[in-house]
Amino acid sequence: MNRVILKYGYPITAVILAIFVWVVYRRIADGGVQAIVPLAVVAVVVWLLGVFVFIWLWPRITVGGFKRAILRHGFGGGPIPVNTLYAVPHRSSQTASTGSLIATGADDLLYVGGWLDLTAGPRVLQVPEMDGRYYSIQFTDPSSGANVAYVGTRTTGTGPADFLLCARSRRGEAPAEMHRIDLPGRSALLIGRVFAAGEDDRVAAYALAKQIRLTAPGHSE
Amino acid sequence: MGGFFSWVAGSGVVQGVIIGGALAYLTTVLILDAVAKAETATANGWKAIRRAGQPGNGFFVRAALQKALPVVNVFEEAAYWTAEVDGSGKRLTGERAYRVHFPRGQLPPNDAFWSLTATDTVGYMVSTSSGRSSVDDHSGLLANADGSVDILLQAQAPNGATQNWLPTPTGRFKLMLRTYLPGAAIVDGGYEVPPVVEVRP
Repeated sequence: MNRVILKYGYPITAVILAIFVWVVYRRIADGGVQAIVPLAVVAVVVWLLGVFVFIWLWPRITVGGFKRAILRHGFGGGPIPVNTLYAVPHRSSQTASTGSLIATGADDLLYVGGWLDLTAGPRVLQVPEMDGRYYSIQFTDPSSGANVAYVGTRTTGTGPADFLLCARSRRGEAPAEMHRIDLPGRSALLIGRVFAAGEDDRVAAYALAKQIRLTAPGHSE
Repeated sequence: MGGFFSWVAGSGVVQGVIIGGALAYLTTVLILDAVAKAETATANGWKAIRRAGQPGNGFFVRAALQKALPVVNVFEEAAYWTAEVDGSGKRLTGERAYRVHFPRGQLPPNDAFWSLTATDTVGYMVSTSSGRSSVDDHSGLLANADGSVDILLQAQAPNGATQNWLPTPTGRFKLMLRTYLPGAAIVDGGYEVPPVVEVRP
């Protein structure tokens, strides 16, 4: 649907504007210029307020679109429950015919996706030994759309590790063997990327991508 | 109350809300596109947005960059360039053939990988007859005698070696060059992607 709107944005807009012109014209034709005063006043107020609200909400709407895609549809393996990660087994070109969101990705990466919700407390992100293989996990804040944290080759290296994911307001220490990551909100979009050199390397990359997991902290608090 | 509702229904208030809301959306799109354009650096027909996904962007910029490049990586993680035009500013189309010439040592510097993908105008990969829609630094590109690398972009397979061929969709298309863990020359802004040049038959 998004793809259709993006592709035919101009004609769709032209049709909608033509309908508006016709509505205003009909009113003036029936009751003179004063017949459109309430319409015009309301339209201007809604217009000005609406611009502010749309710009303010745009990052949230965009990230929310990914949230819905994850929680309702998933990436080929069915809906992805909150606080779980799904590794897409195929490369982007192999999904090209399906119109999947993954077809906008890079062909050299296997993607991992999930929606993090810390309302019920911290979660643990486990990453396996990547042995020098490029990977990253991006944490995108839904209110600003900013990437507020990264785990991966660039930021934390390719060794096995556990990360305690916390809302920033939370007090307390992470267990000694874990690195603590503070997120500004209680939820985040997680996008993982694991390098796959080609079809021959895909199986090995997928085995590693599947081992990137979200779990509940092992001990009760 | 009944009188009030019938006044609302007949007065055009409802139509005003609909028209105002739709105009607000269109205005937002125009504003965000203009802000995104101001944030976009263009060189040789390639566009890049360095601040996409960065924390600390303001009210307009964060919205505009989510519209332009939704949930992409920060620039230090992955640099993205897109091109919808060739080096002379003409729209890219599968009806024509193009070449990108990387002089010796001028492939995108990186600590992970780079890849060049041809997509439809919206950004989705397109199934091509060859089953391939990108070339990258590990797909066996052949270098010229002087160490430079030419990538051919055209819909039909070229005569001779196909390692350096990126199949393009038949209609208008878009290119995306990704460089993961970009090198210092990219992060500092010194690196420029060479132009896409039309090859005349």
